[in-house]
Amino acid sequence: MTAREPRFNHHVLVDTTPLPDHIPKVKELGVSSAPLMSASFFIGARCKPYNDDYMKCKTEANGRGELDCMREGRKVTRCAASVLSDVNKHCLAQFRAHWQCLENNNQQMYQCRFYERPLNKCVFDNLGLEKVIPGTPEGTVPVHLREKQIFQRKFT
Amino acid sequence: MGVPFETLLPYGVILVMFGITGGALGGLQHMQNGGKRGRHNTDMWDRVRVPIGFLEWRGLMLTSLQQMMDRDRRLTGYLRGQSDRVEAAPGYELNSAWRCEKRFL
Repeated sequence: MTAREPRFNHHVLVDTTPLPDHIPKVKELGVSSAPLMSASFFIGARCKPYNDDYMKCKTEANGRGELDCMREGRKVTRCAASVLSDVNKHCLAQFRAHWQCLENNNQQMYQCRFYERPLNKCVFDNLGLEKVIPGTPEGTVPVHLREKQIFQRKFT
Repeated sequence: MGVPFETLLPYGVILVMFGITGGALGGLQHMQNGGKRGRHNTDMWDRVRVPIGFLEWRGLMLTSLQQMMDRDRRLTGYLRGQSDRVEAAPGYELNSAWRCEKRFL
């Protein structure tokens, strides 16, 4: 309309109008940031096809992805919820220990390998999901499997 | 010939006052972080700057916060609150905030 820069810092609008009925509902995820960070690699292990599908849809939607890709988005949400409910069902103690450690250590994964190993083992044994860090160079030990670690806050 | 102890009284006052200030600030930080260590070095994973009036309305007095932390606040009620429930509480899907200009409100 004009060349004026929009300034979005004036007011906050909270619109409580619910979604129209013709859009299928899906429950939003209730996990907060640290549990999401803790479970992220397991979500990636199970939901990679859905996530890639959603990102491809958004790329090809030419800026209308939020509207046109809601079907794919619902699949992403449902898949992540399935992973999290499974982790909660089978590995709740290890999961809580890990995300509480993350929350207390600035959500840095390298501070919490001590709690991450039992969680990875439990999730692999019960759900069959393995943590794989994408882009790890060939022939090197992934960073979460290394025996020796130099920079880490002392804790237990 | 020793220094009389009255000479050192101001230094004692200075030390005590620094102690009180540090303790009060540390206690305030501890309270704001919900008893956890503070977040630092947070990246631009959407640094959302929410207007101060909005935060006052929510009972918070911080000026800038991160998107994920803002999401935590929407989910749990506290900026540093965490929850591992799979489904969000009812109403969460409608309480996201749109930042807009005054003339659109």
